[in-house]
Amino acid sequence: MKHLTEEDLVLLYYSEPEAPAHGQLHLRDCPECRGAAESLALTLNVCSEWVVPEPDAELGRSVWAQIAPQLEVQGGSHAKRHWARHLWGRPRPWLWVAPALLALLLGTFYLGRVSKRVESPVMAGLSNAARQRILAISLADHLDRAEMLLTEISNAGDSGAADISSARYRAQDMVDEGRLMRQSLAEQGDTATLALVDEVERFLLEMANSPDNANAAEVQSIRQRIDSGSLLFKVRIIESNLRTEGQKS
Amino acid sequence: MPQSEEITLSKVRGGDRDAFRALVDQHARTVFRLAYRMTGNETDAEDMVQETFLRAWKQIGKFDGRATFGTWLHRICTNCALDHLRLRQRRQAAQPAYHAGEDQSDPVALVAAESPSPERLAMSSQISAILGPALEELTEMERAAFILRHYEGMGIEEISVELGVQPGAAKHSVFRAVQKLRRVLEPAMANSR
Repeated sequence: MKHLTEEDLVLLYYSEPEAPAHGQLHLRDCPECRGAAESLALTLNVCSEWVVPEPDAELGRSVWAQIAPQLEVQGGSHAKRHWARHLWGRPRPWLWVAPALLALLLGTFYLGRVSKRVESPVMAGLSNAARQRILAISLADHLDRAEMLLTEISNAGDSGAADISSARYRAQDMVDEGRLMRQSLAEQGDTATLALVDEVERFLLEMANSPDNANAAEVQSIRQRIDSGSLLFKVRIIESNLRTEGQKS
Repeated sequence: MPQSEEITLSKVRGGDRDAFRALVDQHARTVFRLAYRMTGNETDAEDMVQETFLRAWKQIGKFDGRATFGTWLHRICTNCALDHLRLRQRRQAAQPAYHAGEDQSDPVALVAAESPSPERLAMSSQISAILGPALEELTEMERAAFILRHYEGMGIEEISVELGVQPGAAKHSVFRAVQKLRRVLEPAMANSR
């Protein structure tokens, strides 16, 4: 008599359609397999005893309180709290300030184009120089995040294949963010920075469209992209310049 | 999909925050339950819930309505949890093993030694204490596949769609998870009898 395998027993336990058709009959007639099935069931039934603590009745409200401010900068920085905690050891809430200000700035530019009568009361009092400083800081933060992503990819998976899913999601977020930056730079005619942000965006797009688990050749190709154009180096230089520019009073 | 949900979703697509808030209220607790199973603790689960809704808001334009909104959220939460587990495992792998090879370092053995009676073992908190470390032995894919199969009642085909893998891979993830859990749980259960 051919006994049931452990896989057969798992499929039978979960009543999967793939479970062997003769399985139940076999269990009835074979004490050995029946014993194995009972042992498996005992363990899995113990797992079922694991009860999830009942979430707070106000969970919806508290979740909303946490996410509502971040919905305003949709497409902006999504340096997620847990990613941030993982990467930098502690959250950096100030990272949200620059993208939020940038969104406000861009909104003002847009409204200014659409209607001369509509002007943001917050930005209305700012000089052109102040607006440029805000843009410079926002860009520096954007490039800072790009730099970290590039560094992470450069150092990932030395042995070959690598899981780049988290980098992929962050790249997608940054693509959206970069579009706002490019729009603003184009309006200001800053072609040098615009060229770099374009280059970064092309890289981010490639990352965002990569598979979660890149094989060794794909990881190598991404690294070569970073190295061949000295992308990381250029990002560091421009970011540093922007930071200095943004700090000028 | 219920008509009321369709109306709410169409408002959300138009950027209506109040409508989105209603969806958060409606689904947060369900998402939390899945997130808790996936992460094994409340703090991470709450982070997952927030992350899930942030991604949902951002990607609402991609929701085509073929599944229910709840199913779609479920999938987003699973992906968030997978990312989280990958990071956590990478972080743990980077840390040196503490007292590796010593019996005392085995959390399951410790729990079993401290809770020898079957009555106590039957208590959910004890189960959680044993199951938690056992689940930590699984890869993120095995853990996700097992949680979806065992606790969410999803079939192998559904799991493969949810995790974006072939059905064969989903099935083997469940098998490997069950094997590993048995390896850890059965001695603990035997000790507690």
